[in-house]
Amino acid sequence: MYKFLLCFKYLRTRYLAFVCIVSVMLGVATLIVVNSVMSGFSYKLQNRLHGILSDVMIETDRADGLPGPPDAIVARVLASPVGKYVEATSPTVEVMALLQFQVRSRLTGERFSITKHVRMIGVEPARHAKVGKFLEYLQRQKDGGEASFALTPDALGRFDFNRDFGGWEPRDANAATKLLDFPTVRIPQVPPVDAPPGMFLPALAVPDRASSPPPLVPAAGPPRVPGVFIGHAIAHHTWKDPVTGVSETINLLREGDEVFLATVGATGVKPVASTFAVADYFRCEMSEYDNTFAYVALGELQSMRGMGNRVNTVQIKLIPSAAGDHELVHKTIIPELQKLFGREEAINVVSWQQHQGALLEAIDIERGILNLLLFMIVGVSGFSILAIFTMIVSEKYRDIGVLKSLGASSRGVMSIFVSYGLMLGVVGCGLGTLLGLGITVYINEIEGFLTLVTKQQIFDRGVYYFDKIPTNIETTTVVLVNVGALSTSVLFSVLPAFRAARLHPVNALRFE
Amino acid sequence: MLAATNLRKTYRRNADQVKVLQGLSLDVHAGEFLSVVGASGSGKSTLLHLLGTLDVPDEGTITLNGRRIDNVSSRERDELRNTVFGYIFQFYHLLPEFNTLDNVLMPAYISNSLVKWFATRREWRKRAEAMLERVGLSHRLTHRPRELSGGEMQRAAVARALLCRPQILMADEPTGNLDAEIGADIVRLLRELNRDDGITIVMVTHNLDIAATTDRVLRMTHGKLNTDAPAAFTRPKLAAV
Repeated sequence: MYKFLLCFKYLRTRYLAFVCIVSVMLGVATLIVVNSVMSGFSYKLQNRLHGILSDVMIETDRADGLPGPPDAIVARVLASPVGKYVEATSPTVEVMALLQFQVRSRLTGERFSITKHVRMIGVEPARHAKVGKFLEYLQRQKDGGEASFALTPDALGRFDFNRDFGGWEPRDANAATKLLDFPTVRIPQVPPVDAPPGMFLPALAVPDRASSPPPLVPAAGPPRVPGVFIGHAIAHHTWKDPVTGVSETINLLREGDEVFLATVGATGVKPVASTFAVADYFRCEMSEYDNTFAYVALGELQSMRGMGNRVNTVQIKLIPSAAGDHELVHKTIIPELQKLFGREEAINVVSWQQHQGALLEAIDIERGILNLLLFMIVGVSGFSILAIFTMIVSEKYRDIGVLKSLGASSRGVMSIFVSYGLMLGVVGCGLGTLLGLGITVYINEIEGFLTLVTKQQIFDRGVYYFDKIPTNIETTTVVLVNVGALSTSVLFSVLPAFRAARLHPVNALRFE
Repeated sequence: MLAATNLRKTYRRNADQVKVLQGLSLDVHAGEFLSVVGASGSGKSTLLHLLGTLDVPDEGTITLNGRRIDNVSSRERDELRNTVFGYIFQFYHLLPEFNTLDNVLMPAYISNSLVKWFATRREWRKRAEAMLERVGLSHRLTHRPRELSGGEMQRAAVARALLCRPQILMADEPTGNLDAEIGADIVRLLRELNRDDGITIVMVTHNLDIAATTDRVLRMTHGKLNTDAPAAFTRPKLAAV
């Protein structure tokens, strides 16, 4: 009984102990916040990475693609033992390409081309939407039905408008003088006098939709130009004012605008190129992909590259029960598929995790190292417990002697201080957990407040396209952090407790 | 009741040796109020610590009611200190964080587990309050030691020592830190306890006047009992009250 009593008493009366509580609390809170934020990033990143890739991919580096038509490959997969796990498949062609389009400077009116290297991916949009989150990432089409490369009437009108009048001069002239039967054409904005250099205007004048102009081309009918889903970041330029810190996003490519894509053919080193019109923006909120992806129709890319009916990747979506079973995917499904295709030259079968292995592994390593470093905070709190307890034992030298003279055992005296350490740990962990969870839940509000106070943006949303700091509170992590901090508190209180237990009562009582 | 035979105790510090007790033997009879007097450093307090199992002798034996207690396990010694021996000290040694009542209850807190304490706490509390009333501190139950006078603190220490109804009370210079009048009050209290409750008391003091009020006085010199003590120091029981 006296052990609890003394613990509580010391906890309430020794203000020095609050230093220990605060240090444990800060350690626990920091670990919880950092882990939750990193886990949030990791979770969101994995989600996005998985969104653009199916569960398993059969891919080849061969320029002419996988041997045989994709249907035959899919049929082989479905006929194999893996077939029962397959929910959907999507044949794709992925090649590196150069993309070029024209823009006009807002300041000088000068026109120039922008060239970017992109990852050109040929897909059957409706089919590809079934193996991942492809459809969700299409800015215009995400809420409606099936994905399609067909241009909207507005986009077609814009394309035709650009093309029929042969380039920029008549376009500008038409827009300015309203010669065309297109009364609601908006005149390109006059660049502000004080606008900083390097800002761009949209490539073309845009019909003002507010007044609903009649489209020049009827909505029905097959598209006369192949569409491309262009990465959102390719089509948009974000400019940040160095003085005010305000970001401005300028649209460089609108739907219907023409882009030029060049790559190499399937046989020999033969450049091939074609013109496409922007049909939609692709935005998965991963800057790397939004900046490099250009989706075109599978048939277009196959014919452009002269690869017939062949593809270089078959993406396979597994049924949910199999997809979630890491063991099954990596120990059964992938080896089975490797057996099926492994003998073929330059064919790889990989899961989405293996495909993005380096990135995911980097996040895990980073998290591990960060945890190790941050646990030092808890280590420091352990040393503060050691120091403060040693002081308390010295201060309570006489009281320990009195307790022993009244019949308290050495073990009892030891357990007073170990329990005291445990209690400080419990209080510190409790408060730390509350603080950590509080900060995690309100991290965006806190970030907003700090940004307001310091006038420095702490979390740049432009980097990850996260509209807020992602967090993911994992119960296991919270429990582990608490167990670690509690163990440290107890461990570091053992030494002073042992010293107190060994104290000879006669020595303690001899003098005042 | 309590007998020590040929007790020897030497304190060592590096190469230095201080022979505190050198073959001391004594008997404490049940119900007597015994005082041990002697100059500082004569070994009075060490004798008391050995008799009360706070320390162990290098040589010699100590028996309580015929049973050796100098070589028992530390657990048994703890139990003896909790139930058989009661201690009062020159500097009272109350725990500053606790009020008077809690200080008095401390031996009960030590001897009871958490569960047992909650089962018996009312009884203990009643007993502690009775003890405090007995020593005249019923109006000071919730006061902290720093709010009490020296005499009151010593009274509280007496109440604490008596809570578990010990057979023997060990008093280590109980009046050493008090003025003559308050010191006499404390000795009067001890005498009452000895007379009314039959508690055996071994008191160490260097105050010959106070020692003279006890039943028997033993004089210590250089770690031994001085058998040539004047007869005036030995009084018939209760004579001094």
